[in-house]
Amino acid sequence: MTAASAGGEPTPAGSWTVRTRDRITRIVPPGQALPDRQPAYMSSWIYVFGILTVAALLVVVATGVLLAVGGVAWWHVSRTGHFVNSLHLWSVELFFAFMVIHLWGKFWMAAWRGNRALTWMTGVVAFLGSIGTAFTGYLSQSNFDSQWISTQAKDGLNAVGVGAYFNVLNPGQMLMWHITLLPLVLGAIVGLHLVLVRRHGIVPPIDAEGPDDVDLQEAGAL
Amino acid sequence: MRNGVVLMDSGGRYIDSGVIQISLTNAIIIVAMIVVFALAILLPFPGRGRRGGRGGDS
Amino acid sequence: MTATTAARPVRRRSSGTPDSHGFPTRPYDLVKEFVVALVVVTILTVILAAAFSSPDEKAMTMSDWAAAAPNDVVATAAGELAGTTTSAGYGPPYNTAADGQMLGPLPLQKWGGVRIPVDSAQDLVVTPLSHVTGNPDLTAALATWTAASADQQTTWASAYSDALSKAPDGDPKQVATGDYGPVPTMSEAFLTLAGSGGLEGALSSSTTFYASDQTRPLLLLSDGSYLEDQARARHLGGDQWGMMNETGNYPGQPWMWLYTFWYQIPPFSTSDNADALVWGLMMLLTLLLVLVPFIPGLRSIPRWIPVHHLIWRDWYRDHPRRRA
Repeated sequence: MTAASAGGEPTPAGSWTVRTRDRITRIVPPGQALPDRQPAYMSSWIYVFGILTVAALLVVVATGVLLAVGGVAWWHVSRTGHFVNSLHLWSVELFFAFMVIHLWGKFWMAAWRGNRALTWMTGVVAFLGSIGTAFTGYLSQSNFDSQWISTQAKDGLNAVGVGAYFNVLNPGQMLMWHITLLPLVLGAIVGLHLVLVRRHGIVPPIDAEGPDDVDLQEAGAL
Repeated sequence: MRNGVVLMDSGGRYIDSGVIQISLTNAIIIVAMIVVFALAILLPFPGRGRRGGRGGDS
Repeated sequence: MTATTAARPVRRRSSGTPDSHGFPTRPYDLVKEFVVALVVVTILTVILAAAFSSPDEKAMTMSDWAAAAPNDVVATAAGELAGTTTSAGYGPPYNTAADGQMLGPLPLQKWGGVRIPVDSAQDLVVTPLSHVTGNPDLTAALATWTAASADQQTTWASAYSDALSKAPDGDPKQVATGDYGPVPTMSEAFLTLAGSGGLEGALSSSTTFYASDQTRPLLLLSDGSYLEDQARARHLGGDQWGMMNETGNYPGQPWMWLYTFWYQIPPFSTSDNADALVWGLMMLLTLLLVLVPFIPGLRSIPRWIPVHHLIWRDWYRDHPRRRA
C-alpha cells in the first residue's frame, strides 16, 4: 500500500510509518519471518536445539513469574513455592544444556558463514547474558547458597572494579537485576538473534560453496 | 522436601581425579549433553523423501 | 509450489557462501516445531522437578554461628577491632586499607573507588554493640574504647587477638592474662548479641527500617572461618571447583567449568591477583569466542574436523559431486 489509497488524501512521501514498515520489510522480507518451507539441506536433529533453547527460556521466564507472585521468601515456606522453585531450577538446567548443544552444533556447521557473523556474535552474547542472569538468580535465593556465592563472587568482581557499582552483597540490587534488567536485556539480544536467523535463513552446507556450484545449477540459478 | 531425597545427602558425591573434582550430578549432566549432541547428529531426521519444491522459502 | 517453480536468483555473498534462499526447499512447519518443543520442555521440566526437587539450605544466622562456633565469633570480633580481618584490610570498594588486585599493570580495583565504605571495627562491631542496653560493663567498655587513641585501640585488640589464637581452641576463657583493655568485654558482649539474634538487625537495619542491603552482615560472616568451613564441607570452596557446585547432590552451574578451572592451576592458584587474572583471561577467551568468525585458523576448525559431513549427510548423499 502506498501513496494513493482508496478515495482519500495520499500518504505523504516522508511518512514515518511507511519508512518504518519499509525498513522492517528490508530486514526480514515477507515470508521469511515465518516460512513454511526450509532449504532441503535442513535435515538433522541438531536444528531443533535452537528452538528448544527458546522454549526452555520461555519456561524459565514463566516459572520465574510464578515465583514472583509469592515474593522473595515464599518458596522457603511453601511446598507449592518450593515446587515452583524446582521447576525454575530444572528449566534453567535444560535451557543451558540446550543452548550449549546448539552452540556446539553451530560451531561444527561453521554457521557464521555468509554474512552470519552477527548472528553468531549475538548468540555468544546471549549465552554470556544468560550466565549473568543465572548468577544473579543464585544471589537472590536468600539461603546458604546466596551467602556463600555472594561472599566469594565479591572478590572476583571487586578485583576488576565492577563490585563498586554492582554489589553482589546487596540482594535487593541483585534481585532487581535478576527479574527486570537482565531478562529485558537478554530478551532483546535473543530477539535480535532470532531476527538475524530469519533474515539470513539457515546456513548452507560447507561443501555447497564455490563459483561453479552444481547445487545452484539444479536450483535454476545459473 | 520429600521428593528431593535422592539428591539431598549433604556432603554430595564427588569424582576426584587429580586436578579434576566434579560432582556426580554435574558429570552426569555433561555426559548426557554430549550423548544428546551425538544422537542429534547421528539419528536420522524424519521428513526425507517429501522434498519437492524449489526456490524461496515463502 | 511444484518442482518447476523457478528459484529466486541466487545472490552470492562476498565470503563465497551462497544465499540460503536460493536452494531447493521442502515443507517445514516452524510453528509446529516450536509448539512441540515447548510442550516437550514443559513436560521434561515438570518430571525433573517432581523427581529431584531443588536445594534450599537455610541461610546461616548469626545465632547459628554463635551456637556452633562461639570462639570463631569472638576471634572475628577481636580481629575486626584489631583491623586484621579480610574486610578490614580489603581496600576498594570498602576502604583504603589496600589497593587491591592488579590486572597486569592496571589497578582496576583501585579505579573502582571506595563506593561502599565500611569501617570494619566501627561498623561491624562497635556500632552494633552501642545499640545494646542494660549491660553496664559493656557501656563502660565502649566508653573506654571510644576515649582511647587509635593506636591504643589497635594495641589492645591486636594483643587480645594474638592471645586468642594461642589459647586452646581459641577459647576466650583460657586466654593468658594481659593488657587487653575493653576488648574482651566487647568481644564477649558481641557473642551474646550474635547469640540473641539481634546482630543481623543491628548490622543491616540500624539506620533504615527496610534493609535490603546485606553488605555488612555478609562481610562479617565471611571474616569468620565458620562460613567457609561449612562451604568447604559441601565442596563449594574456590579451590574445590566450587563455582560449579551446589549443596547436596543437586546440579550446579556446569557452564562455569572453565571459569572455575583456572583457579585450580598455577599461576592462578598461587597468585594474589588470581581473581583479576582469571577475569582477564576469561574476558580474552570470551572475546575469542565472540570473534570466532573472523579469526583465521579458529574459524577453519569445522573444516578440518568434518562433523558437518554427518550433519548434512543427506544433502551430500544427494549431491555427491560437491564432495570431490
